[in-house]
Amino acid sequence: MKAMMIIIIYAVVFSYLAAALLYFWGAKQAPWLKAAFVLAVLGCLCHFAALVLRTLLAGMLPLTNGPEFLLSFTWFTVLMYLLLTLRYPLKSAGGVVMIISALLVSLVAFLMREQLGTVAPLMPALKSPWLTVHVITAALSYAAFTLAAGLAVMQFFPAGRAIGDDHLYLLVGGGFALLSLSIVLGAVWAEQAWGRYWSWDPKETWALVTWIIYALYLHLYRSREWRGHNARLMLIAGFILVLFTFFGVNYLLPGLHSYA
Amino acid sequence: MAIMQQIYKFVSSMKTGLVLLLMIGLASAAGASLLPGTFFKTAFFEALLVLLLLNMTLCTVNRLKTTCRLLLKHVGSRAWFRQAGILLLHGGMILILLGAGVYAFQGQESRIHLCAGEQVDMSRVLKVKHPFTVRLNEFRIDFNEDGSPSQYVSEITVLEQGKKIKDISVNVNNPLNYNGVKAYQSSFGHLVEVQYTAKNGAKQIDRFAEGDLLEPANTDRTVKIYRYIPNFNPAHGMNSVTMRPDNPHIIFSVYAGDKLLGIGTAKFNEPTRIDEDVYLVFKGVEPYTILQVKADPGLPLALTGGILLLLGICLAVLTAPAKKSALVHDL
Repeated sequence: MKAMMIIIIYAVVFSYLAAALLYFWGAKQAPWLKAAFVLAVLGCLCHFAALVLRTLLAGMLPLTNGPEFLLSFTWFTVLMYLLLTLRYPLKSAGGVVMIISALLVSLVAFLMREQLGTVAPLMPALKSPWLTVHVITAALSYAAFTLAAGLAVMQFFPAGRAIGDDHLYLLVGGGFALLSLSIVLGAVWAEQAWGRYWSWDPKETWALVTWIIYALYLHLYRSREWRGHNARLMLIAGFILVLFTFFGVNYLLPGLHSYA
Repeated sequence: MAIMQQIYKFVSSMKTGLVLLLMIGLASAAGASLLPGTFFKTAFFEALLVLLLLNMTLCTVNRLKTTCRLLLKHVGSRAWFRQAGILLLHGGMILILLGAGVYAFQGQESRIHLCAGEQVDMSRVLKVKHPFTVRLNEFRIDFNEDGSPSQYVSEITVLEQGKKIKDISVNVNNPLNYNGVKAYQSSFGHLVEVQYTAKNGAKQIDRFAEGDLLEPANTDRTVKIYRYIPNFNPAHGMNSVTMRPDNPHIIFSVYAGDKLLGIGTAKFNEPTRIDEDVYLVFKGVEPYTILQVKADPGLPLALTGGILLLLGICLAVLTAPAKKSALVHDL
């Protein structure tokens, strides 16, 4: 099952990369864009298959260790992007979104493949119904922020401008609500499991820093203080913080959240 | 008077709040990296949080006024719900900060160690209005097949004036909650039972904590009961292979005065030689639980704040103006 999962994940990376190339290349030609969309959908389906296989192998939803979380949140990112393209003209942003997703998924294939094939029993602190909802909301918020950063990058190019900054603001608002859900539900859980709802654990601290930068963005955008370049730069900075909250804290800073 | 108004305007403005939020973000990032653990208890950081609380309270009160004015203007239910959501979420944050403040002033926290059969009077540990006693009936570690711990369980009885009130299985994710006191499964340890001849000549079995010193008779050597290893393997050194007691050993060291003579490992129930004709026998271990006990009168406040924050954010996001023009004219 492990070998099959690795093969599928390579297929996902390949589809996303190919889709990215077509999105960039065929920026203005309809047939190429259609092919890119089909490849992205295929990749997304394979990605889903990998998640299903991992769920079958582990006997629980793929939300408990580093590679599982990475796979889940990138899948949400791509799915969210594909669903939004049905309603909004987001084709030109596809290249950036697909490249980011391909890079993140390839990390699983190259650096975390061992963990993908092994199943370790849950540690006592994780045995709680809060696990699923805390991690899913975190993964969804990361996905929204990744997508927002990808779209923000494209807004810098006049040709790539897909949607108004106002729609970006709505997307970030959704991500912010999800991150807030994840943090508050995590605090409720931490109070039961660790005896305190806030411990200034590295993950908590960096999630708060991430939360603050998006809170600042929402306030500044809303009061029309910062729009255009500055607001988009904040979204890109926010995404870097999201990545640090995941990679930096999981792999560099030891703490209560060291499950990777 | 004008100056007072200026100050009030400054303290209650959203700009000040955002600068404070930015400072808290920067300070958290820097503090977590440079002074992990201690930074968040410094007066500087606490002052930032207090200032944010003050600013948000004033800012929200001001907002309440404008929201009321808006209400009178018939703006439509969508805009109204959005305003209510934004108010709720800021109110929620204020409650969370207040809850944390109450804990800082009124909260109590301690840790208790209990072996099976032992009990503790809670009024000796925390200042409580309604005293009660906690008795540990059993502490056990459940294991997975691979030897990793699956759950830590303290079987507890709550007593009031000697009368049993209730039994509860406290484990990680399931604390005891009684009369405003919560007891969480925090940690555990082992006492080591040793049979030896004491200096007065009596042959006896005593319990020692890890790290304790033992002075047997007929020698000037002392023994340090260094550590209990539930699943010993020389290749892993001082680290247990798993926490399951598949191959229990004791690691001990022997001293003459201050001088370390040697380090050894011993199985249970086998005579272990310390000196010529001086032996001791490790009989077994007695596990004890460590419970974190806590009284946090601010917890209901913080929880209410958390719920309001979530309700408010969901309400505000779901009713966000979908049209571009509406967004620009949104408050």
